[in-house]
Amino acid sequence: MTMAENTERREGYVRFIGIDFHVGALRVAGPRYWAFMSLLFTLLMLGITAWGVALTEGGVVMAMRDNNPWGLWFTNYMYYVGLSAGGLAVYASVHLFGAKQFAPLSRLAVLQAGVLVMMALLSIVTDMERPWRAIWMLVTPNPTAPFVYTGSAAGIYMVICFLDLWILITGKGGEKLAHRMTLIALPFAVYLHTTTAFVLALNKSRELWHSAVMVPIFLTSATASGIALLMICAYVMQRYGIFKFTSSMFRSLSTLLATVIIIDVFLLVVEIITVFWKTSAQPGHVVRFAQFFTGEYALAFIPVLVLGIGAFALLAGRKTRHIPAVQLTAATMYVIAIFLKRYSLMSMGFAINPLGQYTPPYFPSLVETLIAVGLLALGLMFMTVGAKVLPLQVPEDEHGHGAHESGAPGSESSETPAFEAA
Amino acid sequence: MNLDKSQAPARPDAAAPAAAKPAAAKPAIAAAKELAQAELPQGCTLSRRRFLEGIGAAVGIVAAGAVPAVVSATAQTAAAAEPEGGPIEEIAKENRDINYPGKPVFYADRAGTQKWGMVIDVKACIGCRRCVYACVKENNIGRDSGFTYIQVLEMELGKVDIEHAKLDYDEAGRPDKWYMPVQCMQCAEPPCVYGCPVKATWKEPDGIVVIDYNKCIACRNCMITCPYGARHFNWKEPEVPEKEINPKVPLEEKAGVVEKCTFCIQRTRAGETTACTAACPVGARKFGDLNDPDSEVSVLLRTRRVWRLKEEAGTEPMIWYVG
Repeated sequence: MTMAENTERREGYVRFIGIDFHVGALRVAGPRYWAFMSLLFTLLMLGITAWGVALTEGGVVMAMRDNNPWGLWFTNYMYYVGLSAGGLAVYASVHLFGAKQFAPLSRLAVLQAGVLVMMALLSIVTDMERPWRAIWMLVTPNPTAPFVYTGSAAGIYMVICFLDLWILITGKGGEKLAHRMTLIALPFAVYLHTTTAFVLALNKSRELWHSAVMVPIFLTSATASGIALLMICAYVMQRYGIFKFTSSMFRSLSTLLATVIIIDVFLLVVEIITVFWKTSAQPGHVVRFAQFFTGEYALAFIPVLVLGIGAFALLAGRKTRHIPAVQLTAATMYVIAIFLKRYSLMSMGFAINPLGQYTPPYFPSLVETLIAVGLLALGLMFMTVGAKVLPLQVPEDEHGHGAHESGAPGSESSETPAFEAA
Repeated sequence: MNLDKSQAPARPDAAAPAAAKPAAAKPAIAAAKELAQAELPQGCTLSRRRFLEGIGAAVGIVAAGAVPAVVSATAQTAAAAEPEGGPIEEIAKENRDINYPGKPVFYADRAGTQKWGMVIDVKACIGCRRCVYACVKENNIGRDSGFTYIQVLEMELGKVDIEHAKLDYDEAGRPDKWYMPVQCMQCAEPPCVYGCPVKATWKEPDGIVVIDYNKCIACRNCMITCPYGARHFNWKEPEVPEKEINPKVPLEEKAGVVEKCTFCIQRTRAGETTACTAACPVGARKFGDLNDPDSEVSVLLRTRRVWRLKEEAGTEPMIWYVG
């Protein structure tokens, strides 16, 4: 709240749309910061070049073909949207369920959500051969196409996230507006993820996608991976002295993560049983799912189960749950598991095409990979700059405990904490 | 670049026919479908259609169970006034236009009063693929684009076993196999048309599903929704030898968009039969007007016991098989 009323000019700050951007922090940032930024910039340039190649050469430079009509871009779309929705769930729990221990995370969570959904939208745009034709989505949208709903939801959701971040930082409207924004943002996050799942589930042509449990699986995967990523992100920011969190907050986060992971694994196991049980097994389902246990696709799918159950086991133990290394390992395991899960879920529709023809696993081409890496670099750039410039640290009077803003342990002496006010 | 995806060699071991799950209740789509049917009576203008679909979208978003129920009840009242007809007439009538923008697709003449259908005799088919080659030539399909509109499946005797079907067989006419050509079924309930986010593909009044190559945004969702694998993407520019280009069919426009069988719209609307029907050496294909009770297809549908591929998917294909 103090941020909002603090209108006096301070050295190194630029005031724009009511936010004090700490541009000065960039000026004094150390060489390692800029080395990292130049690496990201190089990757971004490579990605843009690759996109240019894709636009001029056409889809032939991609590894996608008729039997694999969607590839890395769609995996990433599902993945980023999921990560985004998950982070927001943590933030929303502060306001809706009074989970005060997560309050220090709120700005970081919302920034992460906004950046990720932006990356998700760019994944779609960079896949289109003629991006300008996307205007037809607005001119003649087809109400029976699930894509219309997920596409528009992602766009609106991105706006909501950035607006929410602005409200949180400026403190405009106070606690009341922040609370109301949560009431809009959380259902919308659920809606976005439901519609994303519908892009797969509402297809009677693809046996393994055509399952209503796809929607809850998407929601739990999203929440779990989002929480895991937020945890990693919080640890990284703490390591560079941008934030200081209490270990009790990380412990609460771990408990939440473990709970969601086990629900996520449970839903997947339920689906597997339905596919293979003697009295319910349908040939079209069995033939396809078998590929994911004994075929080449098992390389992607078995790790999903192993990493998922492994991450839960790590976090389930009361004695080990509080150890940062254990938390980080479990979180990383699950972030990887969910990426593989997205890939597997996508491949389940493609492994055997509707005319019964087997398709070898899709592996992205160089161009596709560079585009995806470029997008990732863009997202990381947003976060890296945001960590320096934006007042992400929640002032202490907005949450009862936590953050000791003074004396953030600068493991990098060259790094300056972004937050100095309050 | 090697593009022959359709000749994927390996196949799974365990298998049996494809069986789609029973369609679960999907209020949003159901409501929109009902609305599409409700606006069938003639005299509905385009703006009214758009308006109804707008409502469909709104209903879909708030989708409670009760709202679609009310809407569908209204739709049934509207459909109740239909005149009586035989089953074939009924099928022809249901094969209506969907998402039709009011004027024919840019590469076709205006649709006539016919409702096109095809019957394929799998007992006669010898799997020679002459229909495939004729189709490629007629429709300006890129010679190394890696797909053909028609895919002929070689099946084991004794069952309709899609999961064990062979696409890249070497020897045709084997007596211990049977052959089933599969192409766009011009479905009366086409998932591809319902799934296109921008209405770049639609059903014309004569039932032909067309794609506007100048509008397609290349999202490839229609390829996902099609249960027959009938839609193909031009991953590269289609290359056709100068002398073999068919001027009546688009070529450059097809680069980077989805294409598929159009029942040879450029021929059939000019009174000819399809290229595949003309090319079949054993007369296994019959093509004609379902509205005409004396056409070959109508006679076959009335007199022979026919079946359709993936009937359980509820797509109402306009290609029947008889054996």
